Amino acid sequence: MELGRRIASRLTEATFERVAAVGLANAERNQRVIRHSILELAEASLGEGNSAVVVAAGPSLHRRRSLERLKASAFTGTIVAVDGALGACLRHGVTPHVVVTVDPHAERIVRWFGDPMLVAPPRDDYFRRQEMDPAHAHDEIMANRVLIELVDRCGPGMKVAIATSAAPAVVDRCEKAGMTLYWWNPMYDDYDRPGSLSRRLHAMNGLPCLNGGGNVGTAAWVVTHAVLGKTRVGLLGMDFGYVPGTPYARTQYYPELRELLGDGFAEAFIHVENPFVSETWLTDPAYYWFRDVFLEMAGAAGCETFNCTEGGILFGANVPMAALETFVAGGGRP
Amino acid sequence: MTEFLKGNYELTVKIEEPADEAETSATEEFEKKALSRLGGSICFVRKKGFLWNGDTPEK
Repeated sequence: MELGRRIASRLTEATFERVAAVGLANAERNQRVIRHSILELAEASLGEGNSAVVVAAGPSLHRRRSLERLKASAFTGTIVAVDGALGACLRHGVTPHVVVTVDPHAERIVRWFGDPMLVAPPRDDYFRRQEMDPAHAHDEIMANRVLIELVDRCGPGMKVAIATSAAPAVVDRCEKAGMTLYWWNPMYDDYDRPGSLSRRLHAMNGLPCLNGGGNVGTAAWVVTHAVLGKTRVGLLGMDFGYVPGTPYARTQYYPELRELLGDGFAEAFIHVENPFVSETWLTDPAYYWFRDVFLEMAGAAGCETFNCTEGGILFGANVPMAALETFVAGGGRP
Repeated sequence: MTEFLKGNYELTVKIEEPADEAETSATEEFEKKALSRLGGSICFVRKKGFLWNGDTPEK
């Protein structure tokens, strides 16, 4: 087995190590501000019909002009966006019904909502390096200022499906922007096992536990079908990979892979042929794990899922690829 | 293994098994720590459905 796939096979356990302690600490701190359960979203009026689009923050979102096309399509269903895609949505005049956020990082995630505390470019080059929102790569401070204004203006019309693992800075920012927060617990472990953290967390705050599949994009898809009850879901910007030709240094986990593997870091990257666009995409162990998990979960989901990303590495028997316009028109089955 | 195999000769080198074990454990610890930085934002729990709300039926 290739090195990248070998690493990917160990990331279920690694993710627990990464997020459990900080996520639980944040859950305790957030306890005092929890007012709504995510289950209340099932009763809310969020677009028409049984179709929904989940907007993730992969590079195809910009490359394929997916948001311009979504707006032009006059789609009337539900729009669910991940936190990292919120800025792009608002800049293109697309206001999501629901924004999903989960990562417990103390400083990074608030930037997706516009960080009022950011006055100078930080030492952390995460936003300059990665591909998720190119606006941040060009001029972080200006992009942040514009985003603050947009989120402040549109906030009262949006709902946030927020995990109890979210950092207090994210909670504070969403509340101050007038968003309504609907809470859920990340499922950390098997709730049937003795001493389960998920069970203890549920006992503490009474909120449902959601199986998030490793990343916020998959979590948004789970919210869309398992909470909102949508039976036809289209995915945008769900690449789980990097555009062909992307330098390794501009990939999300580059510093970590370099530290772990030294000069042999490139061996951890995996190349995947996408037959829909006839391109070979680059991916890393984390994204490859997200893909495997998504395909496994899609087989058990009570919805039809169509990947309208037009790029990336997410495709399989339960996740056919389709053009966005085909999905909006009601088609998409192979 | 040493409890099952007995040699009928003397070894000229000294085998320090506990040191190897300590080294393996340090390597494992490094790998665990390094891998944790490659993990995702949220866990995935195999075969436990999408949503669990305590005693209410799974969705």
